[in-house]
Amino acid sequence: MTQLQKEIQDQVRLPAKVALDVVLQGIKIRLGRSLVTIMGVVLGIAFLMSILAGQLAKEGVSHESDLRAEVGRMMNFLTAEAGPLNERVVGVVQVGPLSEAENRFVKAILAQRPKVQWATVGGNAKIPAELAGAVQAVAVDQVGKEATAVVVAGDGPAPAVDWTAILANARQKVVGLARGTAAPTSAPAAEMESNSSTSSSASASSDAPAYTTVNLSRQPRPEETAAALKEATKNRFRSTWIITIALAVTVIGITNSMLMSVTERFREIGTMKCLGALSSFIRQIFLIESSLVGLVGGVAGTIFGTLFALAIYGFTYGFLLVLGSINWGLLGASAVGSVVVALVLSVIAAIYPARFASRMVPAMALRTNI
Amino acid sequence: MTQAATPQATAARLERLFEKPAAQQRRCIIRAVDVKKVYRMGNTETQALRGASLDIFQGEYLSIMGPSGSGKSTLFNMIGGLSKPSSGKVYIDQVDIAQLDHNELAWLRCRKIGYIFQSYNLIQVMTCLENVTLPMSFAGLEGDEAREKGIAILKLVGLGHRVLHKPSELSGGQQQRCAIARALANSPEIVLADEPTANLDQKTGAEMIELLAKLKIELGVTIVSATHDLKMLKRSDRILWIADGRIVKTARPEEIDFNSGEFH
Repeated sequence: MTQLQKEIQDQVRLPAKVALDVVLQGIKIRLGRSLVTIMGVVLGIAFLMSILAGQLAKEGVSHESDLRAEVGRMMNFLTAEAGPLNERVVGVVQVGPLSEAENRFVKAILAQRPKVQWATVGGNAKIPAELAGAVQAVAVDQVGKEATAVVVAGDGPAPAVDWTAILANARQKVVGLARGTAAPTSAPAAEMESNSSTSSSASASSDAPAYTTVNLSRQPRPEETAAALKEATKNRFRSTWIITIALAVTVIGITNSMLMSVTERFREIGTMKCLGALSSFIRQIFLIESSLVGLVGGVAGTIFGTLFALAIYGFTYGFLLVLGSINWGLLGASAVGSVVVALVLSVIAAIYPARFASRMVPAMALRTNI
Repeated sequence: MTQAATPQATAARLERLFEKPAAQQRRCIIRAVDVKKVYRMGNTETQALRGASLDIFQGEYLSIMGPSGSGKSTLFNMIGGLSKPSSGKVYIDQVDIAQLDHNELAWLRCRKIGYIFQSYNLIQVMTCLENVTLPMSFAGLEGDEAREKGIAILKLVGLGHRVLHKPSELSGGQQQRCAIARALANSPEIVLADEPTANLDQKTGAEMIELLAKLKIELGVTIVSATHDLKMLKRSDRILWIADGRIVKTARPEEIDFNSGEFH
């Protein structure tokens, strides 16, 4: 009996390659129907992927335009206080890693061709490699020398420095804060009101050294944030719902055509069972067929969906903007995800037909009128 | 001993003495004991078999006859390990098939039994050789070994020159030859043939019968066929009639008047 059981075990394991062969030949001979099934998967997955890629493109574009707006505003606030920067000296005090907006802001300053004196404060602050050649690294107490404006940027605590001393030799005593958090410690607290773009310390204290702080960043109002969040949630629910419906339709389509394939092959299945095929072998055949369909349809659908979404957003916002701003890493992850979803859904769709086929009685093969 | 030794009596006695032990020595490969099969369809029960018993011996060529609805297919399915009886026992090679689960039944079908179908049932997308090696792969035999064995079997059935043809490129007789080769793939002890000549013309049918008879002698396989073909009946060792779910008659071909009405 143990020998028999071992042989049965072998019978289960060995013919996986045979199953694949049978499936490939079956697909070849029934190419038309297989293509229809694959088209179903392609459409469902293309829809899913076009929504995902569209979302990424939209996010990329809106992120990019937000960045541009923020950099533009920072630049406006700074030049409104300090005047044109070309041929002048600008000091930068970096207190930590620069955000994307700050990085661009610094580049925008550099674009106006001032002489930039760059001081770093704290262990986390490091001049970005791409800027290192264009700026002159100095000690923090030298940063204000001859400067038209000093900008504080980076993610870190406010530098504990005496701005009065630093700005003593400055041409104009202006401190620009790229973030509201990095407030100069020596400045009076009253000046740091949120959303006030400029405030003068000169008027606050009686004989305090006259220098101006400019708050360059703008914190969005709470109700704005809430509204944006609500809108995003609504959109997410809507697209989830639509995607779910589309994928459910795809699954039902695959199940339907797999069931058709089972009835079409009643005799073939019965014959194989008479020849000694196990139920698991029959199950394997249908699961392999359906995963191949899922894989091919998933890859094709992902490609079509991505191209479609990028084309739509490209024609609307311009290809340069869309392709330049989209998060390619996330797009790749979404593509892989879509193919996996296609594969998983196809296998799920084939479970019922595969069970149906594997439970068929082998005597079916003896009946001729099927 | 006390009887007078007339030549007739001696002959009869010798026949009994020689035939009976010979029959007993032959291994009983299929044994059915009071087999009943009931099909349930909703609330109605149909008795397909009402208690059939038979022994089939190794190397025998048995034909089963019976009108449609007589239970012939049901008995045939049970002999082939395709279904289990509702009551009674079916032993295939001393194994009670009622005790086997569906995987073990598949194992039995794979190694002990070869099937030949009326409509060949070859897998259309595969070549002759692939059709023959398919059951071998179910039995765990693959690669060159399977291929060589497959080619040898195809040569044996006279299809050595059509090894790589697809079934659609073959004539009916050649397809049935291929199906016979496939039935022999795992060297089974029993070959079940379901009206193997019904789809063939007279001449090809006769060739097929000769082939089966040759295989029976050369390979010693037991052949059980359901058939109405006179030529086939004449070639078989024993003929079995089924009617109304019972075995009504068993006879040797030479005992039967083939010109009587029941064959027409």
